Amino acid sequence: MTADAGPERPRAVLVLPGRGAYTASTLGSIPADHPLVTRAEAIRAELGLDSLLALDAADTFEPSVHLRPANASPLIFLGALLDAERATADHRLVAVIGNSLGWYTALAVSGALEFDDAFRLVQGIALLQEEAAERGITGGQLIYPRVDVDWQPVEAYAAALEAALTDGANGAQAETDDAAGGPGDGGGESRATDPDRAYPSVDLGAYVVLAASDAGLARLIEALPPVTVGERQFPLRLAFHGPYHTPLLASVAEAATERFTELPWRAPSVTLIDGRGVRFTPWATDPAELARYTLGEQIVTPYHFAASARVALREYAPERLVLTGPGNTLGGVVGQLLVGEGYHGIRTRADFESAQAGAAPLVLSMGR
Amino acid sequence: MGATHLPERGRCPMTFDRVAVVEDALDALLAGLAPAEHRLSPDDAVRPGSGLTVRRAVELFEDQVTSRQVDRAARELKKTNRSFHTITGAGHENNAVLGAQLRITDPAFLHYRSGGFMMARARQLPGSTPAFDALLGIVASREDPIAQGRHKVWGSRSLWVPPQTSTIASHLPKAVGMAYSLARARRLGLADELPSDAIVMCSFGDATVNHATALAAFNTARYGARIGLPMPILFVCEDNQTGISVPTPEGWIEATFSSQPHLHYRRARGDLDEVWDAVSEAIHVVRAAREPLFLHLDVVRLWGHAGSDAEQTYRTADEIALTEQEDPLLRNARRLVKTGAATPDQLRDLVTDARDRVWAAAEEATSRPRLATTEEVTAPLAPYHADRIAIRAAEPVLGEPERSAAFGGILPEVATTPTSRTMAGHLNAALTDELARRPELLLFGEDVARKGGVYNVTHDLQRRFGAGRVFDTLLDETSILGIAQGAAHAGLLPIAEIQYLAYIHNALDQIRGEAASIQFFSSGQFRNPMVVRLPGLAYQKGFGGHFHNDNSVGALRDIPGVVLAVPSNGADAARMLRGSIAMALEDGRVVLFLEPIALYHERDLHTDGDGGWLGAYPPPPAFLLPGEVGVYDTDAPDLLIVSYANGLRMSLQAQAILARDHGVRARVVDLRWLNPLPIEAVRDHAADCGRVLVVDECRATGGGVADALIADLAEHAFDGGLASVRAVDSFVPLGSATSAVLVGLDQVVAAAVETARRPSAAMPRRSAAGRTG
Repeated sequence: MTADAGPERPRAVLVLPGRGAYTASTLGSIPADHPLVTRAEAIRAELGLDSLLALDAADTFEPSVHLRPANASPLIFLGALLDAERATADHRLVAVIGNSLGWYTALAVSGALEFDDAFRLVQGIALLQEEAAERGITGGQLIYPRVDVDWQPVEAYAAALEAALTDGANGAQAETDDAAGGPGDGGGESRATDPDRAYPSVDLGAYVVLAASDAGLARLIEALPPVTVGERQFPLRLAFHGPYHTPLLASVAEAATERFTELPWRAPSVTLIDGRGVRFTPWATDPAELARYTLGEQIVTPYHFAASARVALREYAPERLVLTGPGNTLGGVVGQLLVGEGYHGIRTRADFESAQAGAAPLVLSMGR
Repeated sequence: MGATHLPERGRCPMTFDRVAVVEDALDALLAGLAPAEHRLSPDDAVRPGSGLTVRRAVELFEDQVTSRQVDRAARELKKTNRSFHTITGAGHENNAVLGAQLRITDPAFLHYRSGGFMMARARQLPGSTPAFDALLGIVASREDPIAQGRHKVWGSRSLWVPPQTSTIASHLPKAVGMAYSLARARRLGLADELPSDAIVMCSFGDATVNHATALAAFNTARYGARIGLPMPILFVCEDNQTGISVPTPEGWIEATFSSQPHLHYRRARGDLDEVWDAVSEAIHVVRAAREPLFLHLDVVRLWGHAGSDAEQTYRTADEIALTEQEDPLLRNARRLVKTGAATPDQLRDLVTDARDRVWAAAEEATSRPRLATTEEVTAPLAPYHADRIAIRAAEPVLGEPERSAAFGGILPEVATTPTSRTMAGHLNAALTDELARRPELLLFGEDVARKGGVYNVTHDLQRRFGAGRVFDTLLDETSILGIAQGAAHAGLLPIAEIQYLAYIHNALDQIRGEAASIQFFSSGQFRNPMVVRLPGLAYQKGFGGHFHNDNSVGALRDIPGVVLAVPSNGADAARMLRGSIAMALEDGRVVLFLEPIALYHERDLHTDGDGGWLGAYPPPPAFLLPGEVGVYDTDAPDLLIVSYANGLRMSLQAQAILARDHGVRARVVDLRWLNPLPIEAVRDHAADCGRVLVVDECRATGGGVADALIADLAEHAFDGGLASVRAVDSFVPLGSATSAVLVGLDQVVAAAVETARRPSAAMPRRSAAGRTG
């Protein structure tokens, strides 16, 4: 069986970043002469939006401009997609995963959507998010750790998260959903009637992103004990992020379904693993289901990035994880997932760092 | 390897690497197939009228190929001693159709060739990693999510697949028991994690149906249906026409099972879509009618029984090659391509991807750690949390009005009629109290309900608590214990009665192989808490013969993790029963509760009419737990007599005679618990008394506990007088001849006198106090 493998390009899982990936340090990362950039610019112009190249070429990073969903999403999408194109030349991709926004990029990378359609989708969702905020559906996300600086689980943090999602900030009626577990173990219909209740939003494994209305976030920040991991303080509110992956965005899902269901969705050319840990393969994908998930469930339920990574690691056992830019926002998160899984015998942060220092690092971060 | 090893009957030379041959055949087929002119869409039916859509069909094929690759990895890794289980599902992959169609809330008790089933079932739970999970089992890693390397079993808590080895059909009775218990649990209004239309599935092979255990299960399912009970069980016989090397007679399965009363029969065979539709109908029948159904699924067995099985020694090369042509993967690939559900290119990519990723995952799995220490291996075997058990035993507390109502007005602790104070009366009262305060408790067995038990121990309980909770079963010990396990899986707490100790041997594997092992093989994720009441032991007056007087617990004591309780008097029996129930509830333990029949109605101790064996009823929550012994004359310095049950009563009689006639003050300790033995307490009392006599009413050779106690004391350097009296290694005869084989009072007294003359090992301070003889 080993003879099958041959001395080929390494088997790799491609990992695409989410919002927050575009920062001051990634300014100037979009190549002006790439044909996909040209197409993106054309679509932006058609929609009456600022040039991405101009934004990317700005001298200073202006959070209110660069982090605006309608700018940040396409910048990240484009940067990640161009990296993915380069990665494909050097690796044999066995699966593609993305974190949150990265899911849309995964659709484009895998060919489930043509570039133009995927770009219109990313841009369209970002605009819908902004419209929702303008209509008063405000709120946001904060991030809180489950591990210490050595990437080992801290029970007190997990307990604080659980408490915040149940009685701490949520009233006795709220359910815990599945922030602390894997996908699929929640499932009950929401009993909460509190408009400011907290929701699990993104499960990064070592970190959890929670979302709520503005008032709900304030309550959450009050409820979660402040902790310091390394040099970062938590809970940490994510600037310019809305309450993504929660029922608060039901109207976005509705509008997106109406607007984008008819895109020419196709089976991907490489296996996609979504934010539930479900695989969409080149041979058994129903494009309509891909559309339904992307435009519905994905928008209003937690994105289990950790589950998608776990499925990729266990069922595909890649030789390498390729993290595209922009930036390297997922480097630590992926390292922590490897430690959590004990992948290739990596069980501590030190193991990971020493594996990375070797001749064939397990994780390749293109955006460093 | 080559032709020289072929049996002479074989005509063509053949390689024995049949794994490679079968893999090559799939490649060759896919290389040679032409795509259909018309392509179907993902939501199209594979065939007009079939319920199988294109997308589901291709997913199924992928699950089947993935299962095949896991099996291939098991064989491949074995070559370098990195895998430990090579029984595969190769050729059985159409069981994936059941995995896809049954819900993950339909409990499934699976056969060991169920890889395809598990791959397909796991699709229903996002985030599942079924291939890697199976590989972790094969390489015996402690990260195997179900057994942690204790066995390669198909199991999953989240997919509702309790694990078992399934090699001898021992999982069928509990599957029937669970089907039987689903409606019962629901009617009792107990919290149930399964929906009201859940059904139970269990699978097995065509040779397995010949096991007595399997036949008992079919019979019980049919019997239940006959008397009008909901019995939603889907039996799935995966018929590969072979039991290891022995062919199943042609047509045997259909002939045997297609026309049994109260058992539906369906056959699933042919193309994938035909199998799909037959399975769909079978599931529908069971779900809608709540009646048992026997699904006959045609499969083949590839690559021999297991990796160690040299198939060529009993099958010709032609036979092996012919079977390989029936490979379901070949047939399903042809079907998918022919119908336009998939192209050959797509299926090639699918197969390549599965091979590639499963092999990579297998390599990764071999790097995962294994269980190493005794503590790690045995961690889930016999959980015991004394503090939490104590809370369980104490709660809930019923008020006097509720208790009075349960007892029909008079509480047993204030009753004045003597019969209420025998052991039988105490047990009846204790069962009443427990039934009254624990709605999840069921009591059942042969003759326990209407008759009230052969010895009246369960008198009136059905009338008080209803036939939903106290009921008679059919006369089959295997099924009684199967119902107990199934009821426990359904969230109930069963108290099952096996009418006589001797009868449990008819069904002991239900405890030994299944009930006692579930926590071990599931790493504590599944449990079947239960108390099994076992009237037994000898000395019955006027009711003789071996089968009602069996006096051996040897076969019970060696089962890992099982608790064996043996009360000697009524008050102890009530308190020990409460402790047993609390252990079952809190830690999921299987407790065998051995009740000495001869003491059920015994009233006297020393002389007729002295009432010395009657006692006051200890009201709840008084309870006893393992390790807590009974001590009679705690200051007696001369001799320790260790005993239990009838021997205990006899020891107390001897104690009086020794003091009166021989000037020996003997301390008597009642073990109460024969597993685990209260060995610390025995050691302490032995050190105190300096001489030990074990009075063991069970058969001398391994029948009781004398060997274990004396060996332990010897190994712990006890060097005082040490002796035992035990029953003769014989079956128990009728009438007065019993005294020729059973331990008698004279024998106990004589041995005690003799032992008391031997040197004492008591501590000097005891001797200085002048308290040794």
